[in-house]
Amino acid sequence: MKTAALIAALAADATPRAGVGGRMLRALVPALALSALALVLLWGPRAGLAGVLASPLVVKTLLPLGLALPALALVRRLARPEAQGGLPGAVLAGLAALLALAYALALARQGWAEAAAQWWGLSTLTCLLSVPLLALAPLAGGLWALRAGAPAHPARAGAAAGLLAALASAAIYTLHCPEDSPLYLPVYALAMLPVVAAGALLGGRLLRW
Amino acid sequence: MRAANRGDGRAYARLLTEVTPVVRGIARARGAALGADGCEDVVQDVLLTLHLKRQSWREDAPLRPWLYAITRNKVIDAFRARGQRVTLPVEDLAEVLAAPEGPDPLEARDMERVIGRLDPRSAEILRAIGIAGDSTAEVGARLGLSEGAVRVALHRAFKALKRLRERMIE
Repeated sequence: MKTAALIAALAADATPRAGVGGRMLRALVPALALSALALVLLWGPRAGLAGVLASPLVVKTLLPLGLALPALALVRRLARPEAQGGLPGAVLAGLAALLALAYALALARQGWAEAAAQWWGLSTLTCLLSVPLLALAPLAGGLWALRAGAPAHPARAGAAAGLLAALASAAIYTLHCPEDSPLYLPVYALAMLPVVAAGALLGGRLLRW
Repeated sequence: MRAANRGDGRAYARLLTEVTPVVRGIARARGAALGADGCEDVVQDVLLTLHLKRQSWREDAPLRPWLYAITRNKVIDAFRARGQRVTLPVEDLAEVLAAPEGPDPLEARDMERVIGRLDPRSAEILRAIGIAGDSTAEVGARLGLSEGAVRVALHRAFKALKRLRERMIE
């Protein structure tokens, strides 16, 4: 087939298609609703949730939600063939460094023994299992949306989708999680890790173009 | 491109026609080892890819880096298909000039091969619109399909072509 003929055929198929952003809206909203519903029905909200959300402890939920915003921007950016991490990537890295610093300070003030006691809390295992489970639907939705894109680095784009899913899932899980010490933070980070890894692995396979 | 992404077929055809010599220039400069028809295969591969991925271009972004990134990726794929490893720095591509205009030098072979592997009806629709220059309405009337059904079939045919080409590379 001559190139001119190919062009003529391609131009006949000019119907607009949904891009990554449109597909994200279509996939992530129901996926997050599903995860939230699963939490309410299968895990159950923690006792006195309304009171907790009205107290300063609401930060526990707002922190992952706030981090999910630059993660969302990062996913959309990495879906383009010419893009690097750019601003959203830098913002995320900066916030992560800030969190690590704040955590180091808290650790220095309260001591390792106290931190270790928090890590081996009663719900640590539940957290490590729940966050990946609740991230399944948003991860699938994010990867499906990314299939409309042309990421320069499929595995990296997949990892970003995993990070977004993990952050959203973590925010949802906080509605159940009974641990309130800031020293508990690494357990969440550890719980999110397999989701990011799964995103990278699946992205490398599914997002090539 | 903006008009094209909103469904203006004529603007889209013009854009593809203007972009082709630029892509061909890059393919020839970077993929000289592929030979002239190998380069034309790359050009067609790029056109098919940018068609299916056209929504990954953001309206406020410049078109060139996006186009170069896709072309570079497809040149690499072409070398990979021949079992050679190559790395192409992005920056170099910005210096490449468009290939001289002229009649389409060659029919790309790969595309014909993968079209032959499509189901007969998709291949017929593709050839009727591309080579014979029929409109979707004419093709639909001939095959007893609605215009919408022809459009859907055409889009599916492009996606199938892409999958078949990917399989050739692996």
